[in-house]
Amino acid sequence: MISPEVHAATTATDELLRLDNLVMHFPITQGILVQRQIGAVKAVDGVSLTVKRGATLGLVGESGSGKSTIGRCIVRLYKPTSGHIFFEQNDLAEAEGGDLRNLRRRVQMIFQDPYASLNPRFAVGSLIAEPMKIHKMGSSKEIRDRTEQLLEIVGLNRRFVDRYPHEFSGGQRQRIAVARAIAINPEFIIADEPVSALDVSIRAQILNLMDRLQQQFGLTYLFISHDLSVVRHVADRIAVMYLGKIMEVADGEEIYTNPLHPYAAALLSAVPIPNPRIEKQRKRIILKGDLPSPVNIPSGCRFHTRCPIAQEICRQVEPPLEDKTGSGHLAACHFSDRVGSLAAGGSVEGMGTL
Amino acid sequence: MGKLLEVKDLKVQFRTREGAIHAVDGISFELEEGEALGIVGESGSGKSVTSLSILRLLPMPPAEIVDGSITFADQELLELSESEMRKIRGHEIAMIFQDPMTSLNPVLTVERQIIEPIQLHLGLNRSEAHARARALLEAVGIPDPERRLRSYPHQFSGGMRQRVMIAIAIAANPKLLIADEPTTALDVTVQAQILELINRLRRDLGTSVILITHDLGVVAGMTDRINVMYAGKIAETANTDELFANPRHPYTLGLLSAVPRLDEEAGGDLNTIPGSPPDQLHPIEGCPFQPRCPFVLPKCKDYPPALRVGPNHIAYCWVDVTDPAEQERAIARGFIPLREIGGLRQGSPASTGTGSPSNG
Amino acid sequence: MATIQSNQAPTAGALELTPELARKRRSQGRIILDRFLRNRVAVGGLVVLLLMVLAAIFAPFISHYDPDQYNIALQTAPPSAAHILGNDDLGRDELTRLLYGARTSLTIGITSMLVMVAIGVLVGAVAGFYGGWIDNLLMRITDGFLAVPFLIWLFTVAGIFSNGSVKDIVIIIAVFSWPITARIVRGEFLGLKEREFLLAARTLGASDARLMFWHILPNAIGPITVVATLGVGQNIIAESILSFFGFGLQKPTSSWGTMLNDSQAYITSAPILVWAPGIAILITVLCFNLIGDGMRDALDPYMTER
Repeated sequence: MISPEVHAATTATDELLRLDNLVMHFPITQGILVQRQIGAVKAVDGVSLTVKRGATLGLVGESGSGKSTIGRCIVRLYKPTSGHIFFEQNDLAEAEGGDLRNLRRRVQMIFQDPYASLNPRFAVGSLIAEPMKIHKMGSSKEIRDRTEQLLEIVGLNRRFVDRYPHEFSGGQRQRIAVARAIAINPEFIIADEPVSALDVSIRAQILNLMDRLQQQFGLTYLFISHDLSVVRHVADRIAVMYLGKIMEVADGEEIYTNPLHPYAAALLSAVPIPNPRIEKQRKRIILKGDLPSPVNIPSGCRFHTRCPIAQEICRQVEPPLEDKTGSGHLAACHFSDRVGSLAAGGSVEGMGTL
Repeated sequence: MGKLLEVKDLKVQFRTREGAIHAVDGISFELEEGEALGIVGESGSGKSVTSLSILRLLPMPPAEIVDGSITFADQELLELSESEMRKIRGHEIAMIFQDPMTSLNPVLTVERQIIEPIQLHLGLNRSEAHARARALLEAVGIPDPERRLRSYPHQFSGGMRQRVMIAIAIAANPKLLIADEPTTALDVTVQAQILELINRLRRDLGTSVILITHDLGVVAGMTDRINVMYAGKIAETANTDELFANPRHPYTLGLLSAVPRLDEEAGGDLNTIPGSPPDQLHPIEGCPFQPRCPFVLPKCKDYPPALRVGPNHIAYCWVDVTDPAEQERAIARGFIPLREIGGLRQGSPASTGTGSPSNG
Repeated sequence: MATIQSNQAPTAGALELTPELARKRRSQGRIILDRFLRNRVAVGGLVVLLLMVLAAIFAPFISHYDPDQYNIALQTAPPSAAHILGNDDLGRDELTRLLYGARTSLTIGITSMLVMVAIGVLVGAVAGFYGGWIDNLLMRITDGFLAVPFLIWLFTVAGIFSNGSVKDIVIIIAVFSWPITARIVRGEFLGLKEREFLLAARTLGASDARLMFWHILPNAIGPITVVATLGVGQNIIAESILSFFGFGLQKPTSSWGTMLNDSQAYITSAPILVWAPGIAILITVLCFNLIGDGMRDALDPYMTER
């Protein structure tokens, strides 16, 4: 979340990252000697987003939504099929060689599984120093000093520099991953489910750490998660994805108090709340059927097969993602006005349509 | 309604090269017929080991049930032979697990897997069993059950597979269903469906349920009572409404305030429970929560007795966390008190408890 | 989000050592070593092997005889006080020949293993890491090698190209034993390249070479070590077979294999001439196998340790 000071300092057009119709299709091939393409997994099917400098954009979705794929496209673990990823004026989607390397200094990633994202063969200090070595950021001594400094910044003891990942707990490993991510002073960090694999009592530690670092270093975050409760807590602006496309985008509290897309409403109604009174009286919006395969995206609005308020037009015409309130609250639905009354029963303090 | 399950002083250890891991360190609880009990805890709390012990599914070296008794329907489970236990598993007590992908046999059709407990325990013939299997798939909400019976697990989505697991579990009408993190691996919309299903089946069939999870939101909507476990011990036990309204153990408080909540506006820090989960290889003297507890006192080196807060509400703690003086001390240590949420505030007396430690 | 309250050291707990960290720590290497040392059979194999290597190195101190010293008078003499293992068909002291033969056999075994591993790792790494047509091409080449039985390759190529020197034999054996190593390495790389720590390193900007050899390779050391140790044994046997059939080392170089060849005719009259090199080969290969198994066990659980 941006502090008021940072918010005041940024202008409305201070975009750091802009996705422009990003598409990522993974081809499905067949054949023994010569591979023929017979279809594609449309993981990301045309996504446009912006992230303001210093802010946190929460990217929310369930499995198959494409949220993790977007993160990986931005750091170029995949080369996008088409579309643009503008980081300031540079297009990450097209960059190669030296340009790509330079851009990589500015965009970093924190992965979900703290047990898997650290190479078990190397000491923690070596892992944190690696980006500095790759980008030649100083002499050995300077790198070593900074490594120890980074350990302290993330709340670990300097002496841990020679220890190995397996000696640490999940929360501590995630701190090491964070130290590594900020080692070369990136401006933009993609956090892909950074706390989902951690124990509940540890999550708050990492979230607080990330928040502190954001304030301290002016970082911009793309926070990818399936956990709406966490995202509400950390994000300034939230985008909800389904089957490769964005269904709704809104600032801060808007999505929680006034969802304009039936999928977002259904998601919100499904999240368990630690309050027995509320839980026992909630009426949930239950979606019909199963998630369609990303190889066979439904026609028209891709959500229509499961949508409780779908009409004929939804099957035929894909609704564009457009501003429904005039103040930056976007939704891709023909019937946004009906979403409010969709949710029945039990209005909850702080949440509009539950 | 009689007591269906009674666990007394259960102690389970795992023998390893480095010593014994005290996975479950002396817990006692009961379950009535038709009741839903939630067991909440994180890794190392011993919640899964507890449930596996009830069904005696732990591999007996390295695991060892060192002490205690587990009585189910007036039978002492720990004294039964393996073949007698087999009659109970799947029939009287059934279990569903977290990952339906690995819990279902990938090379057998769904029908074969559902029919197995039916034939084993109910003695129905082939066509009767088939009919029941189809009825079960319908009951768990799988469309086109006749065709689906002939399918294989990999042809189902994650949510569907979990439904199949539930069908297998209830096939022989168990009195007790143990669900170990049944929805943790599922998407949240699917989770809602599965939890709804479990609730409905519980109402229709009168099955008792033990629901094991780390998710406080899930237990809030599904259970009558909750045991909060930490480091192999029960830290607090209470009726569900009471636990959320009036938590008394610092760990429970910590959990409730560390979790970001959907019904709460952003802003305000999350309370952190500092430190790391406990090391059950070398358990410490006294209360295991000491290293992380903002309310800690020197006398916590003696394991606290049961603090009777109310009729069904016990917390194992020396401290009265509702005492403003204690709260101030804790806040000075970095503790962030529970926020006011939906009208429920920390310390609101939903029960008339004496609030002072007693022995017993 | 509001700023963190000042009286809360935000990370107080994390600065403390967890109980595990506070205990005496062992480095990675130490953990593996300890595991290996616990395996008595493997350690036994290692000890015996070391003794053999020492015997080979210090041969001149153990036996004062010259291995090539003829003595017609003592042709195929049975063991005696002066010649503990007897004499071979040219009257040379059998024990001495055994000790010097060890040098040759071990050298060939180890050197050919090193070459085999170098080629195999290079090919396997590139194939597994890049996939696609590179993998296809390299694997088809590998398949080509593997289509013909090992020994047939050896005999054919040795028969045509070899002039019986140690160098030739080492090269020939290495050239036909790398394909299996390559397959194994490729398998490891295929699996490891999708692991999250690899993705993390890519994100940091690591080059392909760095990813392959700095990141992935150390994690694949387990199977490679096993293949290497078993490979020494296999290669010693290969050389022995070649020499036994006359395609291997030519005189005057001698190894256990050539000793077997020389002693064929005396299998009934002076069996010790066959047993001595035979058992030497057996024990050496057994030792390498036991060490290889021990290494695999010592490395494996560590690698899957979280």
